[in-house]
Amino acid sequence: MSALAGTAVGLSVPQLEGDDKLCGSAQYIADLHRPGMLHGAILQSPHAHARIRGYDLSAARALPGVRAIITGDDLDEQHRMGAFIKDEPAFAKGKVRYVGEIVAAVAAESEAIARAATQLIRVDYEELPAVVDPAAALAPDAPLVHEGSAQYIKVFDAGTDGNLCSRTEFTSGDVDAAWAGCDTVVEATYTTQAQAHVSLEPVGALAEIDAGGRITLWSANQSVFRVQASVCESLGLPMTKLRCLTPRVGAGFGNKMEAHVQPAVVLLAMKARRTVRMILSREEDFETVRARHPFSIRIKTGARRDGTLVAREIEVLLDGGAYGDDSPGVLGYALLMQCGPYRIPHVRAHGRVAYTNKLRFGAFRGFGVPQVTFAAESQLDELAEQIGIDRIALRRRNMLVPGDPWFGGQAIRSNGLAECLDIVERESRWREPVAAPTPDAPSGQRLRRGRGIALSAHISGLLASGAIVRLLEDGSVLLNTGAVDIGQGSNTVLTQICAEALQLPVDRVAIASPDTDGSPYNWGTTASRVTYVTGRSVVGAAAEIEKKLKAHAGEMLECGVDDLELLPGGKVAVKGVAQKSVSFADISGRAHWAAGGPLIGTHSWVFDQKTFDPKRAVALGLPFAQIGIFSFNALVVEVELDEATGQVRVVGAWSACDIGRAINPMLASGQIEGAFVQGMGYALVEEMVWDGARLANPSLMDYKIPTMGELPETLRAYLIESDEPSGPFGAKSVGELGINGVAAAIANAIADAAGVRLRQLPMTGERVLRGLLESAAAS
Amino acid sequence: MSPASAATTGAARVELDVNGSVADVRAGLSTTLLTVLRDDLHLTAAKRGCNQGVCGACTVEIDGVPMRACLSLAHGCVDRPVRTLEGMLETPRMQALQRAFAVSGAFQCGFCTPGVLVAAHALLASDPDPDEAAIRRALSGNLCRCTGYARIVAAVRSAASSLAAPANQASA
Amino acid sequence: MTAMPQGMLWPRTVQEATAMLADDPDAKALAGGATLVAMMNARVVEPHALVNLALIDELRGIRSEADGTIRIGAFTRHVETAGCALLRGTAEVVWQAAGKIANATVRNMGTIGGSISFADPGLDYPPAIVAADASIEIASVAQRRRVAAADFFVDWYTTALEPGEIVTAVILAPKAGGASYVKHARVASDYATASAAVCIEGRGTVRAVIGSCGPTPIRDDAADALLSGDRSDAAIASAGALLEARADPLDDVRGSAEYRRLLIPRLLLRAIRQAETSIAA
Repeated sequence: MSALAGTAVGLSVPQLEGDDKLCGSAQYIADLHRPGMLHGAILQSPHAHARIRGYDLSAARALPGVRAIITGDDLDEQHRMGAFIKDEPAFAKGKVRYVGEIVAAVAAESEAIARAATQLIRVDYEELPAVVDPAAALAPDAPLVHEGSAQYIKVFDAGTDGNLCSRTEFTSGDVDAAWAGCDTVVEATYTTQAQAHVSLEPVGALAEIDAGGRITLWSANQSVFRVQASVCESLGLPMTKLRCLTPRVGAGFGNKMEAHVQPAVVLLAMKARRTVRMILSREEDFETVRARHPFSIRIKTGARRDGTLVAREIEVLLDGGAYGDDSPGVLGYALLMQCGPYRIPHVRAHGRVAYTNKLRFGAFRGFGVPQVTFAAESQLDELAEQIGIDRIALRRRNMLVPGDPWFGGQAIRSNGLAECLDIVERESRWREPVAAPTPDAPSGQRLRRGRGIALSAHISGLLASGAIVRLLEDGSVLLNTGAVDIGQGSNTVLTQICAEALQLPVDRVAIASPDTDGSPYNWGTTASRVTYVTGRSVVGAAAEIEKKLKAHAGEMLECGVDDLELLPGGKVAVKGVAQKSVSFADISGRAHWAAGGPLIGTHSWVFDQKTFDPKRAVALGLPFAQIGIFSFNALVVEVELDEATGQVRVVGAWSACDIGRAINPMLASGQIEGAFVQGMGYALVEEMVWDGARLANPSLMDYKIPTMGELPETLRAYLIESDEPSGPFGAKSVGELGINGVAAAIANAIADAAGVRLRQLPMTGERVLRGLLESAAAS
Repeated sequence: MSPASAATTGAARVELDVNGSVADVRAGLSTTLLTVLRDDLHLTAAKRGCNQGVCGACTVEIDGVPMRACLSLAHGCVDRPVRTLEGMLETPRMQALQRAFAVSGAFQCGFCTPGVLVAAHALLASDPDPDEAAIRRALSGNLCRCTGYARIVAAVRSAASSLAAPANQASA
Repeated sequence: MTAMPQGMLWPRTVQEATAMLADDPDAKALAGGATLVAMMNARVVEPHALVNLALIDELRGIRSEADGTIRIGAFTRHVETAGCALLRGTAEVVWQAAGKIANATVRNMGTIGGSISFADPGLDYPPAIVAADASIEIASVAQRRRVAAADFFVDWYTTALEPGEIVTAVILAPKAGGASYVKHARVASDYATASAAVCIEGRGTVRAVIGSCGPTPIRDDAADALLSGDRSDAAIASAGALLEARADPLDDVRGSAEYRRLLIPRLLLRAIRQAETSIAA
């Protein structure tokens, strides 16, 4: 591992925003207040699919206190946004495509008036047949969610056609020939459900407009730059007219990565020519924004009798909902990652996303990997059972070792997977028998325990970042990266990286809040990319500052720059002669007042490692041409299953993550633990349920996430440091890694406990009990 | 009732006792304590996460006991002292909790944190040495989507220990 | 025409409260607020006047009466009921149920009167008070009357309360013996997917009630008779079948009707075995 100055990296520094959060003074979007501001409210579509024939706003306009109303008539047909396919207007125009879609919005003197006014808006709909099932949507005579889908602008070869939003295929080797060389082949279908993000903070935005028409937009977001792009594209605004800022954000998990109410709020502010704030209710957030893609997965894996994996075919169908959003990326990424961290020479991975008349499905922690890992890691256990080989032995035999590339040939230069597996095998006491909590209970009334394992991976490198480091007049440092801290602690981690690079204590570095006016471009807080991609920018910008510091110091100390070194605490000294030094403050003074000008260090880059080696894999419809740098996870869970009710609870979880280097061990562990519990909800409890085309459970009464009561007795995160050579101080990222294997590990543990193999999520008590009864009937 | 009148009906003066001070506000019959705290008194620690009493982000103390501000009507809180997180910042118990939360990493986005701290503060007041089961029971009504809860439990335990420690030292 | 009083009304006695409700049929009684205010926030109800029962002393507290019954005032919060040492023997089923309602913070707010008046079939009190053979005291402006708990729950969200009436107390006649309230839910704090409340008197008489499996709590005289003579696994299975035959469960997000039917005999068995250990204790 590269040596550290020890001022910052590797320290469990508490979050820099901790005081505000612990005193309740942190300002989230709903806490922002402007004197005289208007309040916004939305009108939602009652129909899953309908043409909008017209609006009657007269009653709404007449309500005292109403200041602006916007509808699709205020939008231009040409202006559409979308991360991969420009298919989405700012809100519904011409048609509504899902129940709950924003059809109109009102700004008024109070929220109560705004909400009352929305109920006075009359919309003339012509109902159309709706399609809610993705397979039905791809049938030849299905109603078209987007009639003009082929004409939309796309950023890659999506293959869009009718309700086919995108299609992707990756092949490696010769799968069709390879089955013949397999001694065992297992094939099965898995289905996964829509999961709601349930960030504790519902979405919202606040837009201010100046006399010249320039807008300042605050919103709960994961990327000020994606907000800017989406609002400007969907409203036809030049980017110079919109400044996007970030308050404290109450989590996102992907829900706040792309636009939500921002375009509507900006348009309201423009129409009212006053500040407008709009915060969605919990129900509106559930119904309107986005959720995790349901997947239907057909997967087939072949191996030799010694357990060596030979061939994999996987076909997926994603429910994309009404708009493309991040769907093509989720599809492509899921297919890239479905092999898991294993060598499989012959692979065909293909899939499609279908438009349906439901809310858009989009980014959610894991981005398709929890879904395919559920299928693939479950299948590996079934394969192990069929071959008669130990579940861990099968994985050890095939897992990627240092030197192996990822599926498709991308080089991996740090791989700590073996240590991850070793530690969870040991710590979970895998080799010992599980406890039998009710040894004397009769059959049908027992509590049964079992263990399951899953290995998975996630990337760290994607798209662009920049960083600006400035030396302030007193020698302290200001860092500006544009990366949004959504609670995961990126502000703290990036500050630590900068401090370490300049050998400063953390409290001598301040970090600016993301602002499209002042911050360098950062694609967003998503894809687990901030520590790695933005961290590298921070290192690069700090290196520039170091160069400039030394240039000054060389002149001040009359020596060559190669004879100089940084000392901890903000000094530049002659190597080996600590007394011959100048402080950062001295240098800054010289620069500001005498020579050279203020010290500014910058760095800008876009991740450019190619996803695939064209000699190793063929790709069709590849949404990310450059994505990579792999972190690895080994996860063991122990479950307890109640035979009487089928209910499963997790009693122990041991999750080891190779993250290259833990910049902040406490924050990294927090990500792993939080991801586990969120994954546990995904595996056992959470499900968005549709009643026809209407979401039946858009409330926290009916949609349940794990409570403290569900916390396993043992939940352990282990940090493995394999030192990624390209990473900032060796770091890779950790934000999503911990969720990917959870559903699979739990499914495998249930099979271990009770011999029931579930292939549908969530694995509710009902589904488990049905499985128990079916296997009892079969035997 | 027509939507228009629902929007404007019934605001009347109400005097509340919030954090030891008299707060004189106007509230409609259906106006919740949460709305008054946040919008009229600008005490924004209590958050609106669901407005149905499920998430716990609005938890405050009424009559010395943790309750949901979103399920409490402003007019129903007359003569019932209300204490929010802002009104507990000076207590040794809250300061011990804050220190423990900070060093344990018991919060991430922080949105649930005020509600958790109020509930934990009340727990330690009634049970200075709660075991893990007691902590889970007291805090099961506070949802957190970020931390996975383990560090919250550890932080409450740690705060309890640190509050007990000075007394132990004194008697040692 | 006299103007209706608007806003929050604060009666000091049951008589004042029922008179206010009689005068203004659109006014709603407010107890802990846990149910009513959630509905107001969702705009499911929009009352123009609320009769706040908080100042009525008679409605507060749990006490032992001279005749050996236990009177739980309607405005008793779940946290009090869950901590009340008077609720022993068969009455224990009520304190067990109280302790499983929602979560600690909501238990500080909700009241037994408010809860049972709403008659959401997913609630915890209804099967417990039916198993305990409680009676419900009801007041109107004209009179007080009592209704057996089993007759109080009439249909989905419908009770025996007439317009203008309020629950004033739940009255238990505890017997020596044991009891258990078993709640099966998706996660802590959730409503029950299904529940079983069982009281076993020292002499062996059993009352077994199933909750969340139909519009009202489910009892069957033949099932109780069977269990009162025989608590073997086989007898419990038969009794479970009788109860299941009376069930009319919903398909909802907590579970399908079929799953609830499967749960009935299983939860019944668990509740009986747990009640037996509480007799021994």
